[in-house]
Amino acid sequence: MASKGMSKRGKKLLTDFPVLNALYEHDRKGIEGIIKLVEGATEYNRTVAAPCALELDERMEREPDYFDWDLMREACKYRFFSLAIPEVLGGLASKYMVTGMALVVEELCSACGGIGLAIAAHSLGVAPVIASGAMAHWDSVLYEIVEEEKKGNPVLMAYAITEPSAGTDVEEPEFLEVAKIGMEAKKVKGGYRLNGRKCFISGGSEAKYLTVTAATDRSRPLETWTTFLVERDMEGYSTPRVELKMGQRACHAAELLFEDVFVPDSHVLGYEGDGIVNGILLIMAASRGPVGSIATGIARGAFEHFLAWTKERRNGKRPIDEDRIRMALAEMWAAIQENRGLYISHTLGGDALFRNAFTHPLFLSAFLIPRQVRASKPYSAILNSYYGKGLVNMLFRYFIKDDDATDMLAKASLAKFTCADNAMEVTSRALELMGMDDSVERRWVEKAYRDAKLTQIYEGTNQLNRLVVYNTEIAKTLRVEIPGPFKKGVR
Amino acid sequence: MIRLPDFAEDQEYRILRETASAYAAKELAPQAEQLDLDPKSWRVKEAMSKAGEIGMLAALIPERFGGGGLDAYAFCVALEEMAVEEAGVAAAVLVHNAALLPAALGEFEGLITGVGPDAYPACLAFPGDISVSGGKVEGRVPFAFNAQECSLITLLPSGGGGTQAATVRGDADGVEITAEPYQMGLRATRAGSIRFEGVEPSNIISGGNMVEEVERVLFLGLAAIATGISRNALQKAYAYACERYQAGKMIIEHQQMRIFLAEMLAAVEQGRALVKKACEDGGLEPAMVAWLRATEQACKSAMDGVQIHGGYGYMRDYGMERLMRDAKYCQMYPTTSQEALLRLLELSETG
Repeated sequence: MASKGMSKRGKKLLTDFPVLNALYEHDRKGIEGIIKLVEGATEYNRTVAAPCALELDERMEREPDYFDWDLMREACKYRFFSLAIPEVLGGLASKYMVTGMALVVEELCSACGGIGLAIAAHSLGVAPVIASGAMAHWDSVLYEIVEEEKKGNPVLMAYAITEPSAGTDVEEPEFLEVAKIGMEAKKVKGGYRLNGRKCFISGGSEAKYLTVTAATDRSRPLETWTTFLVERDMEGYSTPRVELKMGQRACHAAELLFEDVFVPDSHVLGYEGDGIVNGILLIMAASRGPVGSIATGIARGAFEHFLAWTKERRNGKRPIDEDRIRMALAEMWAAIQENRGLYISHTLGGDALFRNAFTHPLFLSAFLIPRQVRASKPYSAILNSYYGKGLVNMLFRYFIKDDDATDMLAKASLAKFTCADNAMEVTSRALELMGMDDSVERRWVEKAYRDAKLTQIYEGTNQLNRLVVYNTEIAKTLRVEIPGPFKKGVR
Repeated sequence: MIRLPDFAEDQEYRILRETASAYAAKELAPQAEQLDLDPKSWRVKEAMSKAGEIGMLAALIPERFGGGGLDAYAFCVALEEMAVEEAGVAAAVLVHNAALLPAALGEFEGLITGVGPDAYPACLAFPGDISVSGGKVEGRVPFAFNAQECSLITLLPSGGGGTQAATVRGDADGVEITAEPYQMGLRATRAGSIRFEGVEPSNIISGGNMVEEVERVLFLGLAAIATGISRNALQKAYAYACERYQAGKMIIEHQQMRIFLAEMLAAVEQGRALVKKACEDGGLEPAMVAWLRATEQACKSAMDGVQIHGGYGYMRDYGMERLMRDAKYCQMYPTTSQEALLRLLELSETG
């Protein structure tokens, strides 16, 4: 039960998520940590996002190139860019990393899907650095993000998978095998040369660091799929254009151009050729739940504005006094609660998986070494070496088993497509009931309707996600195979 | 390309369909994106005056007053063809004609002189809470298409059995038009809210079931526009599905995508059939049913069309997301679907 000293927002959170309420009795401190994060997001919405969301959305249509850095600077105060960074590195990722992330994202998206996406896309970019166990970069890149954030300077990351001729294809092994890949990373002495294009990359044009997936041999993408860490300043890298989207405009969808970009060997995350697992399946398993929460947040925002609209008096009557409106409100609320139940059961499962690795004494002991030493060149070289990567990999492999990862991917995909479809239904329905009038609430719900559509498309279209659920849960043909430690080159 | 099932139509409708289709291909298709993105530009005005040249700005006015004298079905045929390229312009034409309709019904010659491209845009202040008493118009219309910079406003006073209409000049004293801050769909119609404070009407027209006739034309017209949107979604999505490779084959070879496309085809068939039947039968109820079903289907077609396009569908350049916004607006005006359903039952109850 909620304690007496708890804030109103905290109590509401425990009421909306009964599972958190149940956990609260066993892990007061952990759940209070989550509540604190969500309170921050509520405060950010009230003071920063909500007052400007409508104007920003409309402005981005006239000036698609504009990006509101002030919003990001304000977000630093709440440390939204450290949500996926482990506590040992100064970040906020506790043992409820995925759940905390999802709840914060739902809260942010209830005010503005675009601003929520801008913040969430950064953590998506951070995730491969962590999941691949590329500890050599933890004390440089992740440390920089945390330190600069404390000073109020947002250092953003982004994750680049989608290519102009392959979107959904690059998110599932079966399809990647036959995908038309345009991007290639050619092995040269001391590193790789990246050539090609990525498109629709959320936050790509603002990111200082990017995690980029590419095949080292375009004719064998599945076997040679590799994740690289690319820095904005690298020669030959540019972001030629951003798209004019229907919604979620506060976050750019950028095109990235790689013209003979040299990426050193040290910037390969994981091994060459293990990108489909470390770079995609594990990340999608962790992030599709939070995408479900983006959809849920958008739906909730629409619901709240619709509810406010039903209480406005027009022609002497209030819509909320009508039976049909009450029924509709109940159904919308049911859809939102259904979403929440789905995504939180996924995120809590994910946390149970990751937490063992990230709270293990062996893992923590690595951080007893002073940071100066960890960040030094020789130490990085060791971590980046064959044995270094193998050791980290072994630890991860010990805790994160193939079956667990597969199960997590299945739940994540299920939550993703259900939440997105429900969000579309809720926003559509609200507009249908409102009809045309000059209420400002209608403009909010229209924005939510435009924002919601993207959740059915990104992170693999909803159709792909349905296939993933079939393949993992029903046919049992898709199994996430985490590469074994001490793996040599391409399969 | 995809071929629509044969649709039996008289020769005169066939000719009109071709004329409207040629207009849409020439004037709307090449600049559909700009018409939506910048409705204030000269493009919309020009598209409108070109629509006037094929008689679409006085389509429902009887020929003896110099109008096109089209019947409801002919008008719907033309709107559908226009909406296949740009639904916003089609909706602007519809609302303009609906606003001139009371004058035609009341055989009010004084108003009808000057009808044509010059009178554009005429705004229909409906639905709203308006009273005309003692020669003064008072009241408020929260949302009206074609409101911005309109030359003529037709208003339908509440009460009085719906047999009365009045017109005021768009720039008359006491008329306050507030532009819609951000219009999501059908953007060529440049909507706004209107407040009337002690406005002296230019004309008061009475006769027949004025309000019901206007509503019927709106329902039929929007159903036809929605059908046009479904057709657009079908054509674009089909073309894209044929050229985009996905998961080892072209999208068109994926069974689930074929079902999406077939649903759109069914939506077009359903929309056309319902509109035709409603026009032939007359009466408000069939028109309402056509509007209910056609707009619902158009929303779904547009949404599935975007889905088939994937990320590209969500971006302005491909012209798919516009259909989602336009279709939704067809569904939200002139009433909500549930209110229409309630009224439909009411109209059909005998005692």
